[in-house]
Amino acid sequence: MARYDHAAGKRGPSHKTAASAGQSNIQAQQKAFWDLDVAIIARRDDEGERLMRELQRLRCNVRHIWPMPPQIPVQFDLVFCTLTEDLPQRIPWIPGEPEAALVVIDCGTGELDLQLIHNCAAHGVLHYPATPRTTQTCVALARGHFLYEKRLRGRIDKLDENLRTMRSVERAKSLLIRMKDVTEEEAYNYLRRQAMERRVTIGAVANAIIDSHELLS
Amino acid sequence: MRSNNTSEPWRVGILFSRTGFMAVIEETQLRGTLTAIDEINDKGGINGRPVEPIVYDPGSDSKAYGLYAKKLMVEDGVSTIFGCYTSSSRKAVLPVVERLDGLLWYPTLYEGFEFSSNVIYTGATPNQNSVQLCRTLMELYGTRFYFVGSDYIYPRESNRIMRELIRHSGGSVVGERYVKFGADRSAFVPIMRDIQQVQPDVIFSTVVGEATVFLYQAYADMGLDPKVTPIASLTTSEAEVRAMGFDVGEGHLTAAPYFQGVGNDSNTTFVNRYKKRYGDDEPTNMCLEASYFQVNVFAKTLEKTNSMETNLMRDSVMGSEFDAPQGGVSINPIWGHADLWTRIGRANRQGQFDIVYESPTSVKADPYLIGYGRCLEYS
Repeated sequence: MARYDHAAGKRGPSHKTAASAGQSNIQAQQKAFWDLDVAIIARRDDEGERLMRELQRLRCNVRHIWPMPPQIPVQFDLVFCTLTEDLPQRIPWIPGEPEAALVVIDCGTGELDLQLIHNCAAHGVLHYPATPRTTQTCVALARGHFLYEKRLRGRIDKLDENLRTMRSVERAKSLLIRMKDVTEEEAYNYLRRQAMERRVTIGAVANAIIDSHELLS
Repeated sequence: MRSNNTSEPWRVGILFSRTGFMAVIEETQLRGTLTAIDEINDKGGINGRPVEPIVYDPGSDSKAYGLYAKKLMVEDGVSTIFGCYTSSSRKAVLPVVERLDGLLWYPTLYEGFEFSSNVIYTGATPNQNSVQLCRTLMELYGTRFYFVGSDYIYPRESNRIMRELIRHSGGSVVGERYVKFGADRSAFVPIMRDIQQVQPDVIFSTVVGEATVFLYQAYADMGLDPKVTPIASLTTSEAEVRAMGFDVGEGHLTAAPYFQGVGNDSNTTFVNRYKKRYGDDEPTNMCLEASYFQVNVFAKTLEKTNSMETNLMRDSVMGSEFDAPQGGVSINPIWGHADLWTRIGRANRQGQFDIVYESPTSVKADPYLIGYGRCLEYS
């Protein structure tokens, strides 16, 4: 998109505003990369240098690590790491609970091993040469997938919690119906009113009712 | 992997602890698994190929289960894993099998409220043990319950459910204590003193592992009477009773899908074969039985799919039935949990359980207790 706008901008002065709007748009998008802590675990050859420069240009905090450490460090947001046969064993986290977004660098020689990439549970693959486009899409997609996975896990935790809350609300409601001789609707409204007045969740009110009923009975 | 004319073995992973404080019960689960595999291999394997187990010992450390699960899937190239007793170990393996798309077969009762496309659950969920246990205890002993548990997910969650059942049926929880995971003998002395003072009608125990033995022994040392205030449990099986001593276990109750004393042909064969292999005084138990039958369900499924690919295995296993030692069981297609029998047993002087309740048929798994939303009195 940037290239297209750039080319369009060259065609005539009338397009200039559109071009600069496109430029500022891509800059805004790249802001997401600023200050990302990124590790590059790769040989510092021409290609490695190029990847590093590209990430620095994107204003990431880049750290180069080589030779390959026995354990991939966990304190980074994003890790670029050379794909080796023993990479899965060097990843310290459990697959499914990653502590950083992981992009494996495929140097393009030898036979392609898809099972190995699967076993790394990586968020992306980078093929040299690390052009600006390749690098940016890799960073954006890997980061995106990593955060999405994290949100999904969070949602599942939340759902589990909600499920428990709903059971508490059910129990509290049936207690109220029995004790106060009210309809189901009234019992629910009572719970909701209490929650609003006390500025706590309806689940907390429900649990309080259940607990106090236990104490009183 | 899919070729028909290969005799390469089907490799499967096994994760049970032979060391550490969970070894008493998990060792029997390992035996159940290996016995089933040997029987299958003796009959010529599955579609002409033997099953080859790759066994690791996580040493009762939950984190090690996750790491070994990863090792099995990544280094050994295994997609099917049989294993886990505690919920913490299951939860450690869960992200691994979910992310790498494996299949964990989990042969242990647990607290329910879980579902995963990458797990087949073959132990009991609360609607298959707790509900009936609560009802029976109230009928036979009274309504005042005292909770003792190990401090981790399963006891806390089981107690939450038990408390719900008790309250709704007009009972009460008069005490609740937790001991450290792997607690020693001395941890139970103050609890027994408290119990003597509070005088509950029933002690509901969710203590697991080695500490189970200490709990029952502390109870016996205190001179309490199981005829008046028994300990009721979902986990104390023949294996634990043997470890604590038959006299110590006598009179206490357990709810389980299976006891060694279940009377049917399939069980008689199972028990005889097991004794032949491990010795006459080696009892069977519910976790051992689940470990045994789930390998058979796996084998039947693999015979059809002729592939260990998780999605094929999973699709095929749903709804399948098997004549297990406990009776006919099936894998519930909605939940991927087994439909099992509900039984309540009282331990006798021979370390066996006399069955005081048995469901008329197998009970459908309802891990989220959807059919038990309200209370016992309506059900």
